[in-house]
Amino acid sequence: MNPLQPFFNMKVGMVDLSVSSTEVVSLDQGETAAYLGGASLNRIFIEGDRHDALIFGTGPLTGSFAPASALLVATFKSPRFGKICHVPFMLSAGPDMKFSGLDFLVIQGGATEPSVLYIHRGGVRISPAGNLQGLSIPELITALKRDYPPFRSAIVTGPAGDRGMIDAAASVGGRGGIDKAGLASRMAAKNIKAILFRGSGGLPFRNENPEQSRELITKIAADKNYRHRGFLSLLDKLEGGKEAGKRLGGLRKKDLACYHCPFPCMTHVEFTGQDAPRGKGGKTKEGLLLLDHLGWIALVGKCGKDALTSLRNCLQEGLDPGAALAPGDKFPRQAHILFGGGIAPIPPGDLWGKRVALAMILGICPLFLLMFPRIDERDLLAFIAPQGDLGEAMQKNLSSAIESLLTA
Amino acid sequence: MQEPMNEGDLSLDINVLRPRSVEKKTLSGYFMPPRHPFILFDPQKCTGCGTCEMICSARNTNRVAPLSASVQVLADERSGKNLAILCQHCRQPLCIPACPTRAIEKGSDGIVRINKLFCTDCGLCTMACPAAAPLKDPDSREIHKCDLCEGDPLCVKHCPETALTFTRGKAFRWIKGLRWSVQAISFAMLVIVFIGTFCYFKAGNVAFSCPAGTLQNIASSGAIVLVGISSAAALLFLTILAGRLFCGWICPFGFVLDLVDKITPKKLGWPSFLKSRMTKYGVLAGAVGGSYALGFQAFCTVCPIGTLCRSYGVQSFFKSAELAIVPALASLEIAQRRSWCRYFCPVGAVLGIMTTLRLIKIVIGAKKCKKFSCIQCAEVCPMGIIDADQLREGISPRIPMTECIMCLRCLDRCPYDAAKIRFRWQRTAPEEDGR
Repeated sequence: MNPLQPFFNMKVGMVDLSVSSTEVVSLDQGETAAYLGGASLNRIFIEGDRHDALIFGTGPLTGSFAPASALLVATFKSPRFGKICHVPFMLSAGPDMKFSGLDFLVIQGGATEPSVLYIHRGGVRISPAGNLQGLSIPELITALKRDYPPFRSAIVTGPAGDRGMIDAAASVGGRGGIDKAGLASRMAAKNIKAILFRGSGGLPFRNENPEQSRELITKIAADKNYRHRGFLSLLDKLEGGKEAGKRLGGLRKKDLACYHCPFPCMTHVEFTGQDAPRGKGGKTKEGLLLLDHLGWIALVGKCGKDALTSLRNCLQEGLDPGAALAPGDKFPRQAHILFGGGIAPIPPGDLWGKRVALAMILGICPLFLLMFPRIDERDLLAFIAPQGDLGEAMQKNLSSAIESLLTA
Repeated sequence: MQEPMNEGDLSLDINVLRPRSVEKKTLSGYFMPPRHPFILFDPQKCTGCGTCEMICSARNTNRVAPLSASVQVLADERSGKNLAILCQHCRQPLCIPACPTRAIEKGSDGIVRINKLFCTDCGLCTMACPAAAPLKDPDSREIHKCDLCEGDPLCVKHCPETALTFTRGKAFRWIKGLRWSVQAISFAMLVIVFIGTFCYFKAGNVAFSCPAGTLQNIASSGAIVLVGISSAAALLFLTILAGRLFCGWICPFGFVLDLVDKITPKKLGWPSFLKSRMTKYGVLAGAVGGSYALGFQAFCTVCPIGTLCRSYGVQSFFKSAELAIVPALASLEIAQRRSWCRYFCPVGAVLGIMTTLRLIKIVIGAKKCKKFSCIQCAEVCPMGIIDADQLREGISPRIPMTECIMCLRCLDRCPYDAAKIRFRWQRTAPEEDGR
């Protein structure tokens, strides 16, 4: 039996928007064993005759008891970089896609009118959504909640995507994302307004997984990065991060984490924007989630004290806040572009690419693995298979999958 | 040959099939109440990672399925705050009487459980629960409710931020026992043994008197008698030292009100236009002004404390017409706890004024307090002066000491020792400063 099988639903949703058809096919066992999942399997899907396709894929550990198992990878030909890119999505979009019964979603062709894809119980439903065109992201989320069945996660595009802007960024719900490769404009080109995940199903797990998770968290608990965890801790490690952190001052209310992540690298800020509407006791406060570290640094550099207002506007419009930073100027490395240009460059060096590739294949947050180099691939594979021949074979496959992902 | 059954034989009576268990009240149970185990949620620590939902669903369904968990973490995207929906295993759970098949029971260990054998997943318990804690699985439509993992909650064990803490509750509340004993002894001494002692009592050269009575005396006689003032000073001095301790521990009428509260647990409510705590200061001013105008201590004739002390003693038991005042005013307890003390008592008003010079105060440290899921202090406060909303927001509530009767119920009840007595110059609870 394929040891990966209980970690996947073994289902791929095939959507052809040009003829509004959906089909659910089985995940190939041989390919799964060889490439494991995530970005590695996404690349297999997009190769061949599907260069125009948009692939959303999860890793074997996405939604599992492994720490920070929040990852969903979108693979597509980036309109910004002109290459195949793998854009990570965190929060809980990845687990929710798996709980909705699909491991991979392959979207081909383009719809004639704006559409919404609803994933539930291993199936995909396409609904026309012309009325959602041009809505700001908060308005869009409100409309989706009102007009569609309940959902736990959503990947949406905003007005910037509708206008076909190359700097448009896909957002997880209304909270933003780290799409710097132009996924939103690809989605908009296909007339996809939103992908909704119901997330009401579940996934089996191995009995020892909860305890393994606790042990792994205990293992990193002594780490300095763990003791000083939080948004600023990660920001401090980046060029220009200290100044960008100072700009937040006392506005930070609380650090937040993605699905099953012990390292809360996002933060919620409350601020009074210059154009904030007047309430009873003066200008009303607004709340924002900061999850794009590079985007925030870029905005602070460009907008100074108005950075939060600008970020709010970016999130509402569905724009990449990092667009203020010319791509390639500061992070010229090839691997950054391969992984969408939004993952923080910590630590610099060759290790970066390998750690990120490992995360993108297994379905773990790459930022978490970058912050805790103590966690190696053996620790993560232990969640799937016990050590032994099976584990060794899987490790071999993982190494070759990382290699081929980085050299593709 | 078997007798044919008539229709009446086929009807099933739920009272026969599943009789409700009646909780037996014992004296030992009164002072040593059964433990009240529950999970406390700290919204300040919660990062919204959902590990609690994962592990709980894994136990419930043997799958990682957050929507099938017995705990749900909701995130408010605007405020960034997280909120956990989980069963509090209430002392008097509303889900139990709501369940038509009587599938929900509270065990002797204090844990409220759903007996799956009898549950029809109708969802009435969810509607009855103020926290909507019994959660309906969106797929299977099954009801899931926290059973504290039979005393070892997995969500608490796995929470990486220790935002969830498990408490088994206090086994013995010594303050409660002590307060009731002191109240009973004070009542016996003031009402039965030394009749009329609260209003005025003289032992040799030392005299004690009621401060409100003394004020009326001064107003009615037009003369400031030094002995009268000094005799009232004892109670005032006690108030400076320990706040309105007299009201919570010694006042015989307060004791009567607490007893009435025990037999009338359901309150009818008080009209909002009468809910002004300033009224008692008006009553005090009226009493003093009335005494001045009438030439005698006007309020003392109807004062419930004085009436109790004068009329209910061994010698004067059932002797006076004043007798009716006490039950009449005590009946206000049906509307709200300590209604008389909150809104009308002029003695409390004098002591309230004196508490502006108090040395101590009660503080509830919001950081130590587990806020959202507990707020037991606000529930037990007879004067209703602890702001539950502030606690839910993680703010240490400011407790108006002019209203606090120092009954110390909040200290006694708090499972996390977040309620403390502090000197008034200590600005916050020590744990707030990190000292």
